[in-house]
Amino acid sequence: MRYPRTFPSYLLRPVLALLLIALTTAALNLVRHDLNTATVAILYLLPVGLSTSLWGLAPGIVAAVAAFAALNFFFVEPYFTLTVHHTQDVLVLVVFLIVAGVLSQLVSRAQLGQALATANEREATRLYELSAGLAALKDEPSIVRLLAEQALHAFEAEWVEVDIGPDGPGSGMRVRLPEAGTPPAAAPAVVAPVRSSKERLGEIRLWREGGALSEAQSRLLRTFVGQGALALERARLAEAETRAKVSEESDRLKSALLSSVSHELRSPLATIKASATSLSREDVSWDSDARRELLSAIEEETDHLNRLVGNLLDMSRIEAGALKPDRKWNALSEIVDGVVRRVREGPGGHRIEIDVPEELPLVAVDYFQMDQVFSNLLNNCLKYAPPGTTVGIRAHAPDEAWLQVEVTNEGPPVPAEHLERIFDKFYRVTHADRVTGTGLGLSICRGIVEAHGGRIWGENLPAGFAFRFTLPLAWEGQPPRALFEAEAE
Amino acid sequence: MTAEPHVLVIDDEPQILRALKTILREQRFRVTTASTGEEGLALAAAQPPDVIVLDLSLPGMDGFEVCRQIREWSHVPIIVLSVRDREQDKVLALDRGADDYLTKPFGIEELMARIRVALRHAALTRGPKAARIQSGPVAIDLVSHIVTRDGEEVKLTGTEFRLLAYLAANAGRVLTHHMILSHVWGPEYADHTEYLRVYIRQLRKKLEPDPEEPQILLTEPGTGYRLVAGE
Repeated sequence: MRYPRTFPSYLLRPVLALLLIALTTAALNLVRHDLNTATVAILYLLPVGLSTSLWGLAPGIVAAVAAFAALNFFFVEPYFTLTVHHTQDVLVLVVFLIVAGVLSQLVSRAQLGQALATANEREATRLYELSAGLAALKDEPSIVRLLAEQALHAFEAEWVEVDIGPDGPGSGMRVRLPEAGTPPAAAPAVVAPVRSSKERLGEIRLWREGGALSEAQSRLLRTFVGQGALALERARLAEAETRAKVSEESDRLKSALLSSVSHELRSPLATIKASATSLSREDVSWDSDARRELLSAIEEETDHLNRLVGNLLDMSRIEAGALKPDRKWNALSEIVDGVVRRVREGPGGHRIEIDVPEELPLVAVDYFQMDQVFSNLLNNCLKYAPPGTTVGIRAHAPDEAWLQVEVTNEGPPVPAEHLERIFDKFYRVTHADRVTGTGLGLSICRGIVEAHGGRIWGENLPAGFAFRFTLPLAWEGQPPRALFEAEAE
Repeated sequence: MTAEPHVLVIDDEPQILRALKTILREQRFRVTTASTGEEGLALAAAQPPDVIVLDLSLPGMDGFEVCRQIREWSHVPIIVLSVRDREQDKVLALDRGADDYLTKPFGIEELMARIRVALRHAALTRGPKAARIQSGPVAIDLVSHIVTRDGEEVKLTGTEFRLLAYLAANAGRVLTHHMILSHVWGPEYADHTEYLRVYIRQLRKKLEPDPEEPQILLTEPGTGYRLVAGE
């Protein structure tokens, strides 16, 4: 196929038109005695029209002129000259020339119109595809990607690069298509800036064989870029709105936390301050009972404050999603012992009954976090337990996969509608003025237990209330670690 | 050594320093204080203390580094103060050579008890390495491998003795699970705390007057174990 390459099409087409006229002349020459001049002229219109529709206006005109010459030369008396004797023939020739010319014009215009219509339709389809695609996308990376994909097809580009960032091109993400192959070394043929109403978002770069774009393509590109800019702007606005909502929500939580916490922090501080200032008065001599009373108030309130600060820290970690348990194989009995030793029995003189066998399999938990869970549950149970009653901590392994733990008291039941919600942040069943607490302890327990892959819930007992939670015995594919009997040597 | 034991307190909180200084002096200790790690190191070198109370979170050089540097030239007992928030730090400090730890906030009786244990421990291990450790009714002879309770020999398995001997040689010190497992069973067993629990329970059954309320082999919750030495 070397021929068409070395012989440009703008020369080839008129030659083909001439050939067609020559062929027609030869054919007509065979039947020349059966036809009069007018008929021959009409038949010559056929190759002229064909040439225009096949090869365009210029070859059509060439065909028309050639047909006129051939008609005059071969089929008008005197034959084989370009002179004309009869007035009638002159008329035929003149009419032929006009008709052939007009025909060429009409055919060619119709074809141009057709091509334009096809191009318009294709452009409309591209834009429709683009806007339909963009409408479905909410995030910047997918919008940038779609722009690149669509531009690659719409502009018959070899390479497309879409470069969008918060501070214009080069500051954010860049998508280059096709992904395979080495990127072009040359400068892009077309660079189209992508602008929103306020700022420059980035640019689209095209590398293509044809070089610069045609008028229609440029128009398409402008619309294209405009659509892309709109979609990007919309995505950024949506993101800003989400951020605003999140920060509004966290502001709300913060103020709830502050109001709850400032009250909770101040009351123990007030007790401490009052007791300490009383003790340091030189004009009063306290008897030993009173002294002991004031001192133990200071001590208890200090522990209370310490617990509170621990809960606040944990809460902020849960909020920040930073509550990652540092899991190690631990014995539940050891954790419970540690907590019970620390938690002083309340003024009601409750009895704490523990049934957490040392023989239970080890469980992979964060020691400190589990300590926090038991200490919060135990304190909660003590708080609502009537004086002189028993608070229980029990654990058993109902099967080989789970450990089940319960912390119970003999206190009042929790109304069914509150059972699920007591683990919500700041949720208080009782009125905040009557029983102290931040409403954080139980939500921290839930956060920690769930981070360990367990579940926590509350249940009313026939006489009392129970917190129950489960912990998985296997961890990271490691089977449960049972305690074995030491070997006899 | 003067009659009054010398305590060096390294903490950056002026209020804690003030309180500890007052309380410890009242308890007949000689007290030096430092508010940075660098200052603490210099003081420890200039007038070697009998025990160091060290806060972990210090400005500049932190408590771990202080611990490590002191351990390069001294066996002085180090009691670490840490806030509950930094549980892993506590274990790390013990691994770096601290003897004991206390969680902030702490009761003063607690601190006094730890300081007394540390001083006793230091007295026991000073000079030639002690071959015989006494803990309540139990005597552990590290040379002859004989353990007696109220004068009667207690039969221990090989592993039980290695475990007990390691704890006894470090009497008074908190040894982390990791340290004990690596030393007694080998580094590849460092996270098999279930071994440790089983053997500690066995030892308690054989040695403790009441295995449910241990007096000799104490559990340091979530951290490790410690053998208490003394009559």
